[in-house]
Amino acid sequence: MSKIMAHMVSFFPDRDRSMAVAEGLVTGGASYLEIQFPFSDPSADGPAIQTACRSALEAGFTVDKGFRFVAEVKRRFDVPIFIMTYAGLIYARGVREFISAGCDAGALGFILPDLTFGYDEGVCEVAEDLRTNVMPVIVTSMSKNRLKLLEERHPGYVYVALRHGITGNPTELGAENLGFLDRLEPLGARVMAGFGISERAQVETLDPHVHAAIVGSALVRTVAEAADRTSDRSIRQSADEIRSLLTEQMTGLVGGS
Amino acid sequence: MPEVYNDYFGQFGGRYVAEVLRTPLDELQAAFVEAMDDSRFSAEFDEMSATFTGRPTPMVHAANSSRELGGAEVFIKLEGLANTGAHKINNAVGQILLAGRMGKTRIIAETGAGQHGVATAAVCAKLGFECTVYMGEVDIARQKPNVFWMELFGAEVRPVASGSRTLKDAVNEALRDWAASYGDTHYLLGSALGPSPYPDMVREFQSVVGRESESQIDRMIIKAGLDLAALVACVGGGSNAIGFFSPFLDRETPRLIGVEAGGTGTGPGQHAARMGGLGRAGIVHGYKSLFLLDADGQVQDTHSVSAGLDYPGIGPQLAALGLSGRVEFNRATDREALQALQFFARNEGLIFALESAHAGAEAIKLAPQLPKTGAIVVNMSGRGDKDLFITAKELDPERWKAFLLAEAGQIPQDRGDGGSRKSRGRRMM
Repeated sequence: MSKIMAHMVSFFPDRDRSMAVAEGLVTGGASYLEIQFPFSDPSADGPAIQTACRSALEAGFTVDKGFRFVAEVKRRFDVPIFIMTYAGLIYARGVREFISAGCDAGALGFILPDLTFGYDEGVCEVAEDLRTNVMPVIVTSMSKNRLKLLEERHPGYVYVALRHGITGNPTELGAENLGFLDRLEPLGARVMAGFGISERAQVETLDPHVHAAIVGSALVRTVAEAADRTSDRSIRQSADEIRSLLTEQMTGLVGGS
Repeated sequence: MPEVYNDYFGQFGGRYVAEVLRTPLDELQAAFVEAMDDSRFSAEFDEMSATFTGRPTPMVHAANSSRELGGAEVFIKLEGLANTGAHKINNAVGQILLAGRMGKTRIIAETGAGQHGVATAAVCAKLGFECTVYMGEVDIARQKPNVFWMELFGAEVRPVASGSRTLKDAVNEALRDWAASYGDTHYLLGSALGPSPYPDMVREFQSVVGRESESQIDRMIIKAGLDLAALVACVGGGSNAIGFFSPFLDRETPRLIGVEAGGTGTGPGQHAARMGGLGRAGIVHGYKSLFLLDADGQVQDTHSVSAGLDYPGIGPQLAALGLSGRVEFNRATDREALQALQFFARNEGLIFALESAHAGAEAIKLAPQLPKTGAIVVNMSGRGDKDLFITAKELDPERWKAFLLAEAGQIPQDRGDGGSRKSRGRRMM
């Protein structure tokens, strides 16, 4: 079975059903959860995740509720969790306070795509200080100088975006991006890779090159479609539907039976 | 000499973008700094300014208004007489020339009111670049005339359906496009904000307004024995203000006054004023500055009668200058802006853009408080022709409605849909 980090947006479609999302993903075999804290202006995300973030904010997401959500997921399903969000939310809360609250909630680490080396607001130092992980999001076009900066950080985990652009569009896996993954081996980090990964065949192709594949928009789309389809049913019925669909989808992606 | 590239202005500025955008921004920074040091580049810019933009734009003594207000003499920099009707074209010319130097063939831009989009599309038509403009669906609906002009120039206007479907979402969408297309595409950001080097770059390209004003001030104000008391400009993102103020930033005088959109009140969603305590420090759209945010850092809705000021963030340099006290900030409400529009139309034969009318409103308040030996200069950053459908609806609703109905009645049924959006402009060329 392949390792997968499954992405979800907390409070999408609402708090209770996003708990069902987490449960479905873990039951289906997700090795990690990437829980996104929705931001009003998610400029690195494609339409599926943008729309989900907007719904989640309308459903009453706040940063404090987000941390409580993460704590409950951790307690109930005991899965390693990365909190993903944008600089805006961290900066507003204060870097140290945000990271420390995430650690208290039980997160293994943080994915902060718009806080890159050189403009990271001290997030890496704080993470080191608090003995937690910041998982840098890197791209195959990264310059040699920037890759050197990455090496100097000795990150425990690295997130590779497999192509340019935003989340959710299809990605071709070939010599360029797979070769890039292999060249990261000397880093000694656990390399995860995503952007446009939606099918078992892609996960299989990635498997020998990564610690885990990352699946995001494909799962968020399942949640959105199921929520739409069950909009005239009770929240509980809708949650059951979402949970079982995600379990099935995850089982297929990891290659379980 | 102030640096052309600063990155940070006090605590504000920076480059908070995903790794994928670091490469194109690093390259843009290098190309910008190199071009600013190349006399051939400034010669190209000056040539385009003189032959296409329509520079220098005049400065006029608003003698009738000054008499009526009964204090300082009011002067108006008529930047709205530039081609396409606003200062926006200065930045479009500068960045598109730079994009050409970098070997890019396609330009993308965001637009709110449409003035930056129209300027961008015009320069792309002139210099032969492919052009895509992102515009929120809400803005497309309320700024139809500018959509028409952009398409006539051959640009593709892509509707943005995400978020609040306004300017801020158009910025997000342009960033998304650029993350996948930067190999052949330049992102032409329209205001002095966004990730570095945009705030520095846009200020430099707009500083032509300030340099020109300085020599006009010398001729019309200083030599006439008047005391230059203040420069006044409206501030949305702040590109006209920072360009207009730029030669004076390192001096102690005159007073520099930025005017934000006071909208209809001071509650969330009623205005777009970030200074004076309403904004919070935050990171949005790749830069750190003051924004209208909730306690979590989520961007709040904004309102202004002028679409060009209807944006939650202020350029980082202006935010820093506001905190240091070099630039003062005031607000004008929707109503005050409309009154200023009428005042200067009646007295001076000038139609201010609704954005610039906020600066006009400040001049109306300020002039009577100053001695007759003083002078203030207002930047009319745009002219108001583009606002016809808004101002006529506000100021003369009944007759305007009758006119629109009569006009609509004259469009024959079978010509009602002018073909697809993209082909319309192309076919006419």
